[in-house]
Amino acid sequence: MPAGRPGPAAQSARRPPPLLPLLLLCVLGAPRGGSGAHTAVISPQDPTLLIGSSLQATCSVRGDPQGPTAEGLYWTLNGRRLPPELSRILNASTLALALANLNGSRQQSGDNLVCHAQDGSILAGSCLYVGLPPEKPFNISCWSKNMKDLTCRWTPGAHGETFLHTNYSLKYKLRWYGQDNTCEEYHTVGPHSCHIPKDLALFTPYEIWVEATNRLGSARSDVLTLDILDVVTTDPPPDVHVSRVGGLEDQLSVRWVSPPALKDFLFQAKYQIRYRVEDSVDWKVVDDVSNQTSCRLAGLKPGTVYFVQVRCNPFGIYGSKKAGIWSEWSHPTAASTPRSERPGPGGGACEPRGGEPSSGPVRRELKQFLGWLKKHAYCSNLSFRLYDQWRAWMQKSHKTRNQHRTRGSCPRADAARREVLPDKL
Amino acid sequence: MFEDFQADSSISPLPLLEAKIHQTHSLARLLTKYAEQLFQEYVQLQGDPFGRPGFSPPRPPVAGLSAPGAGHAGLPLPERLRLDAGALAALPPLLDAVRRLQAELNPRTALLRRLEEAARRARALGAALEAVLAALGAEPREPRPEPAAAAAAAAAAAAAAAGAFPAKLLGLRVCGLYRDWVSRTEADLGQLVPGGPA
Repeated sequence: MPAGRPGPAAQSARRPPPLLPLLLLCVLGAPRGGSGAHTAVISPQDPTLLIGSSLQATCSVRGDPQGPTAEGLYWTLNGRRLPPELSRILNASTLALALANLNGSRQQSGDNLVCHAQDGSILAGSCLYVGLPPEKPFNISCWSKNMKDLTCRWTPGAHGETFLHTNYSLKYKLRWYGQDNTCEEYHTVGPHSCHIPKDLALFTPYEIWVEATNRLGSARSDVLTLDILDVVTTDPPPDVHVSRVGGLEDQLSVRWVSPPALKDFLFQAKYQIRYRVEDSVDWKVVDDVSNQTSCRLAGLKPGTVYFVQVRCNPFGIYGSKKAGIWSEWSHPTAASTPRSERPGPGGGACEPRGGEPSSGPVRRELKQFLGWLKKHAYCSNLSFRLYDQWRAWMQKSHKTRNQHRTRGSCPRADAARREVLPDKL
Repeated sequence: MFEDFQADSSISPLPLLEAKIHQTHSLARLLTKYAEQLFQEYVQLQGDPFGRPGFSPPRPPVAGLSAPGAGHAGLPLPERLRLDAGALAALPPLLDAVRRLQAELNPRTALLRRLEEAARRARALGAALEAVLAALGAEPREPRPEPAAAAAAAAAAAAAAAGAFPAKLLGLRVCGLYRDWVSRTEADLGQLVPGGPA
């Protein structure tokens, strides 16, 4: 009930309600013969004040000869009795109060300032609204899920602490034409957020801003201009499967499907994979999986359970040049690498198709070996593919300890391999 | 039939009626818990001294509905149940009126939904109680003067015009009446449940 600004309820009550006593008299106890109930009036009624300001209030008892006088009256604020030195008697029926340097209201419904009779009974009450005007909201960010809607989030100015109920309204309009629209679905992703579910235009920029209003004033954010296509996100990739790569103890294969909602638009989509050991909280991220829907993780620990997640960035949708917004991570999928008695390498990165070497220590050493082989051996068709095949074969024959030739290997390269490669291979 | 149902244990009531009484009593018991939760949530949002022990604001009748009187427990059970049904019929418009006031005082709080739920629950319990009374052949309660909703709305408008503090007091009174009458209904129905206290 803001002071000086009656709401619709107050306006409709200006005409006395027919047939019924006014609730004011009922609630505060109209003087009735023999009831012992008396009333008073506090002024101002429901004032709105800035933090740090002062308040002068009065409590005037009704002119009932049998009723209380100002002599025995006292004040409480939020249930706490105020020191008598803050009050003074103005006349026989009026007690004044002076409050200085007011703190912010304890509840948004207002601080309860109450005038009591000597016996403690309540004669009148008034609610104080002490706070700050809103500051400019800022840091508006928006995203569109599959180009179908728009959700925006913002930060309230001064971190929102105005001590008063503050209303935030997200407004938007097409940049060069159209009327202002007001978002209606609030708090969808946090207290300062709003969701526009439909009727959004593509290929034309929107202007978006936030207006904050409370009893003490209003503030407006800067305008954010954006094109829906530049802030598109999508669903996480579905159907993520993680499986072993034959008997390879340090690799897992990850496969997924493009998010179906945008499957016809994801030509330039990017994917990211992250994985972690079962009992670890540290994720390793594989960046730049480009627009493939499969990847092989290499350099993993043997006999270890890994959790894997994938996410998608619908980059380049309808020719947008902006970075796009990553989806949420897919639900974790787990798989374990085969066991090995030999200690495996510590970890590595995704191995893209084509078997290009990555930066793990085993791979580096192998690269050096292959380089040496090319110089000193007569076999030029050695590659990581052959190496993987060799390792799979080695694991199968590990127990029998038989020595076999690999396909495509040369006798001299084979001997060199035994000489150069560390035991851990 | 009502007195026979109570006094003569050799009369077997219809299984459906007994089940209905049990069901209505269970509903009243559940709503008593909810009503207490509503009251606590209400006083917390209004701030001190609301909810403090010893807080004793004026408690006049509200729109013709008062708290169960001291003599209520001494009335015959059919009369008590009729009074319970009457109170439950009067409460929904008052709870709606309080919700409209709280929409100004405590916007966007869960209290608004709770007040809406309380109105629905009062209607449901009142209807169930009326059905039990009808099945027992009790005389119907006197119809309340119409329109109750308009009376409650006018009361709320008057409270809003009077200021925020009277509006808070009105809500406190209504939430207290809701709690008192639901609890009273549970106790009265408990005497109707076979095997319950006499």
